[in-house]
Amino acid sequence: MERRSFLKSFTAAAACVAVLPRMASAADEAKKVVGPNEMNYATAVAAITGGKAVVESAKVKVEAPEIAENGAVVPVKVTVDSPMNDKDYVKAIHLLNTKNGNARCSNVYLTPANGEAFFGTRIKLGGTQDVVAIAQMSDGTFLSAKQNVKVTIGGCG
Amino acid sequence: MKTLIKIKPKTYAAGDIVKIDFMAMHPMETGMRKDKDTGVLIPANYIDEVKFLFNDTLITKMVIWESLSVNPLFSISFKVPSAGTLKVIAKTNTGQSVESSEPITPKG
Repeated sequence: MERRSFLKSFTAAAACVAVLPRMASAADEAKKVVGPNEMNYATAVAAITGGKAVVESAKVKVEAPEIAENGAVVPVKVTVDSPMNDKDYVKAIHLLNTKNGNARCSNVYLTPANGEAFFGTRIKLGGTQDVVAIAQMSDGTFLSAKQNVKVTIGGCG
Repeated sequence: MKTLIKIKPKTYAAGDIVKIDFMAMHPMETGMRKDKDTGVLIPANYIDEVKFLFNDTLITKMVIWESLSVNPLFSISFKVPSAGTLKVIAKTNTGQSVESSEPITPKG
């Protein structure tokens, strides 16, 4: 083999090796799927409160299992202590998670006709995290409560 | 989309607070899951709005995101004012809409 042709093939091979890892990482990035409504927890809370303070309160109760064997079905119940009359009622119960791709689960807008501030559902959790309920009161304040849920099998994918 | 409305307890009087359970048979696709055979992304398809109406007056409106479970359950309280009709309207992000109703018949 002539020196020139050897050098040519060598540099071509080296270039291939150099390019390979980059291609691999690009493929990894392509694999990471971004959901249609990606939003992190802090942004989701800010969108609800509009920057107002959220106070942790014993008036709000989040009932969720401490250990969820299956993250695909986690039962959650939220109750807020309120008289639910025309002057003093819970305007909305916002249910959030801290680590899913989309931190928002549901925004439930109540009226005094409900008689009781209650919302129950089943949610998907991708891993161990907090389930947070924010209650928007009729006087404009925000109360919250949270419950940590340990997930042994993730519920997304 | 099949739906089911349950009122608990079964017998109630006017003025009682009852629990209304609304269940919908829906896959709640997040748009992040891939088809196991083809590897193609399954497009997002989830219920994004549920409205509860009593005699056509809005009681509760819910904005829903994809992080709710498959065949989701929505449970609320309701103070029964009188006899009437409860209507639940569920909408999906793909534009599908289902309306279901249940009579409210207080006894005593």
